[in-house]
Amino acid sequence: MAQSERYGYAVSRLRAMESRFVEAPILQRMLESEDLSGALKVLGETSYAQWMADGGDGRFDQIVEAELRFVLQETHRFVPDVELVDLYRIPYDFHNVKVILKSAFRKASGGSRRWELLTPLGTVDSGDLITAIESEDYRMLPFGLGGVVPDCLALWEQSGDLLEIERRIDGQLFKTLRSLAAKSSHAGIVSWIAARIDAENVRNLGRLKRFNSDIARVTSFLHKGGHIAIDQLLSIYSEPFEFWIRALTFTDLGPTLGMLSSKDSDLEAILVDMERALDDYITSVIHRYRYDPFAPENILRYLWMKEMETKNVRIVLVGKSNGADRNLLRGLLRHV
Amino acid sequence: MEFLGIALVICGAALAAGFAGVGSAIGVGIAGQCGAGVMTEDPGKFGLVLLLQALPGTQGIYGLLIAFVAILKVGLLGGGTSVDVGVFQGLGILFACLPTAIVGFISAIAQGKTSAACIQMIAKRPEETGKAVILPAMVETYAVLALLLSIILLNGIQL
Repeated sequence: MAQSERYGYAVSRLRAMESRFVEAPILQRMLESEDLSGALKVLGETSYAQWMADGGDGRFDQIVEAELRFVLQETHRFVPDVELVDLYRIPYDFHNVKVILKSAFRKASGGSRRWELLTPLGTVDSGDLITAIESEDYRMLPFGLGGVVPDCLALWEQSGDLLEIERRIDGQLFKTLRSLAAKSSHAGIVSWIAARIDAENVRNLGRLKRFNSDIARVTSFLHKGGHIAIDQLLSIYSEPFEFWIRALTFTDLGPTLGMLSSKDSDLEAILVDMERALDDYITSVIHRYRYDPFAPENILRYLWMKEMETKNVRIVLVGKSNGADRNLLRGLLRHV
Repeated sequence: MEFLGIALVICGAALAAGFAGVGSAIGVGIAGQCGAGVMTEDPGKFGLVLLLQALPGTQGIYGLLIAFVAILKVGLLGGGTSVDVGVFQGLGILFACLPTAIVGFISAIAQGKTSAACIQMIAKRPEETGKAVILPAMVETYAVLALLLSIILLNGIQL
């Protein structure tokens, strides 16, 4: 079988799995239910039902995580190159390292560890990461973290700057993702990683704007390798947010940012809107491959869409448990 | 030299059956692996998947048909004595077999890819099965045209 058709089986299977996505009609019914129990009852009609047998109303996070974990494990079994699934899972490893480091900092200042925030979705068992960091055997850490983690611990001792620590870990994450995407030699995967870097850069720009950080600090928080040049992002930082949308119109990010309700002057509301738009932007980049029946990019596309689905389910369930307004929740839902 | 003509006829028949058959095998294989992917998740789609997977198989049948016509024409089948075939007549039969061989090989692979895409389409939209069958059938047109040309050419060669 030719190299180009190797993904036929995997992509076809994922297409069939797509028919089980929790799409708009189900989400609508969940939104319209009276309370959390009602929403969970609707969710029980979907593929999530298999994880709901022993889960009470308050355990919806575990239900959502179990579904995502099952999909990742299942996909790992049948894709021709498991590196693609691993590429998708690596950010969870970095998340776990952040949780372990923050727990170590909390413990040092008399607090408790937060192991409940660890996720089993990464490529490395979180127990192994804990052992490596707590025993200071950093050589056991994957993806170049062996060099970054000791630096972060030293930085914490010196300055206690959590933002800087997060920046260093994220920097290593994107460096790893870029290098793995380049090795895969699939243009769509490289482009998708670049879109994720763009999204993170814009997200950082928005957060730092909220803190009124100076431009020198902002520069260090922007990661290389995105579609949008760092200079272009820096040039809009000092401008009002409404101008950002106009300035980014001619980039790949333009169409999704253009849909934001820029009339809203509340920066918090804008940032929430922007989060959704950035996720939709990443979706749009990988969506270009949906009509190619043999494209390996469809593996990442499916996993990303599944993550957006779980995000939507989580938004609705959290909203229902807090009694949030339906229209507000509807506005937060991602495109699946 | 006396057997060269018959050797060319056999070569033409082998090319028609061989190339078209290989193309069909590849096409059916491509569609089959996509079909297997869909049926792993939804075994109920077996009937639809089988129909779409079978479509690229027709080129192999066309190749075999032309091979039979060619060897029947020179009397290699049926147990009778074979006809004397000159070099130019043999060459003519060889060239008459080529449209089915070449177009059969390429169109079967193309049809396999189209079938694969359509199998993915019915995985998500089973209600569009009618359209899903028409798209790969369009590719079939060119295999049929090549078959017709091969038949006309074979009939036109006087032994």
